[in-house]
Amino acid sequence: MPDSAHKLRQIEIVVTREVDISHARQAALALAQALGFSRAAAYRLATAVSELGTNLVFHATHGGIISLSPLDAPGRVGLELVASDDGPGIADIDHAMCDGVSENGGLGSGLPGTRRLMDEFEISSSPGIGTRVVARLWL
Amino acid sequence: MKTLSDVLSLHKDKIIAAWIDRLAEAGDGDSETEPMIRELLERLIRALKSDGPPDIKAPTFHDLTKHMIEVSASRAREGYSPSSTGRLILGLKAAADSAIAAEYSADPDRWRRESATLSEVIDGLSILTFEAFMRAREEIITRQSDAMLEISTPSLLIWDEVVMMPLVGVIDTARAQHIMEEMLNAISREQARVAILDVTGVPVIDTRVALHLTNVVSAARMLGAEIIVTGFSPEAAQTLVKLDVDLRTMRTRGTLRAGFAEALRLLQCQIRPIG
Ligand SMILES: Nc1ncnc2c1ncn2[C@@H]1O[C@H](COP(=O)(O)OP(=O)(O)OP(=O)(O)O)[C@@H](O)[C@H]1O
Ligand SMILES: [Mg+2]
Repeated sequence: MPDSAHKLRQIEIVVTREVDISHARQAALALAQALGFSRAAAYRLATAVSELGTNLVFHATHGGIISLSPLDAPGRVGLELVASDDGPGIADIDHAMCDGVSENGGLGSGLPGTRRLMDEFEISSSPGIGTRVVARLWL
Repeated sequence: MKTLSDVLSLHKDKIIAAWIDRLAEAGDGDSETEPMIRELLERLIRALKSDGPPDIKAPTFHDLTKHMIEVSASRAREGYSPSSTGRLILGLKAAADSAIAAEYSADPDRWRRESATLSEVIDGLSILTFEAFMRAREEIITRQSDAMLEISTPSLLIWDEVVMMPLVGVIDTARAQHIMEEMLNAISREQARVAILDVTGVPVIDTRVALHLTNVVSAARMLGAEIIVTGFSPEAAQTLVKLDVDLRTMRTRGTLRAGFAEALRLLQCQIRPIG
């Protein structure tokens, strides 16, 4: 425990370029591993980080921040992933959450897919102010 | 009373000696240090001699700043640390202090003024130094990643009309573009009918990577070649299903071995033991 304790704090990664996404993904994998998540769960988390990070790079104007924190609720262990930005925001969230909706020729599975990969998922966005996605995974 | 430029010029050798001592204390000096800092000091003296304002953006400072930028960039390329390069220029401040104190002690006002001027110039130079250093480093990094791109996607002819490309590492936009070009070139160069794209070494297959793969498959089809994607891990397969990425148009096999068998089947070839 003391050895891995330093890993178990909240981590914030500024994501503005594609290389930053790899960095965030590696941090997510390390945290998931330290918390005892299975390989499959860690892979799901890493993919969710990839999706949200990619949206920060390609849809938010100046990128954004990925933050990862261990959750320690009574009797269970989890992990929270937050992606926030001050980009253009999403006018119609319900529409953006539909499969196959993309503004730049993507597959449009990023947001709905992330919701399916994680146990909990919340998205809030205001046009002109920014977007914030919070997703959680429980052990 | 002497100007700042005169003072620095008069005490040049002493300042250089003190400057080198300081650098040596920090473990920074080497045989190239002396001529380099002498050159810097001489250019500084010349810049300060002119009547213009002691502003490093002024044309009279151009000669000095240009030299400083070159020194900094070449140190970045030679692998010196940014702090050692920063200390190099900052060391001048302390080294020149005693000379300035000796000359202006009779006039505290002037002393303060000249000392402030020198500080300001050196601060400006250190910022320049840092920027030049970072720029040079970024250039190196860009060059290195370009070089990595070149070697990271080899394509191999593994059988008549079958090429294979093992992908290792993250697939970002630049790399996806490179993979596409390499793959299409290999297909037309080898007149391949089947190409195997192995993704075992790709850390995460998200929707963007999936899209890149689908694009390669469609483009290859236009050249008359079928692509078989191999090496999805069980975790990747589960995740792709959750993402609901439609890979039905893509021929996939779990292992490279199964992919190769499929390639032979497509070419209606068989490998049989002799006898
Ligand atoms: N951080 C964000 N800021 C502004 N708009 C966003 C943001 N994230 C997503 N969007 C909008 O929501 C749409 C759907 O996003 P989603 O990630 O589901 O698909 P995509 O990024 O277009 O394609 P894919 O992720 O499959 O490659 C985007 O096309 C974009 O218009
Ligand atoms: Mg997306």
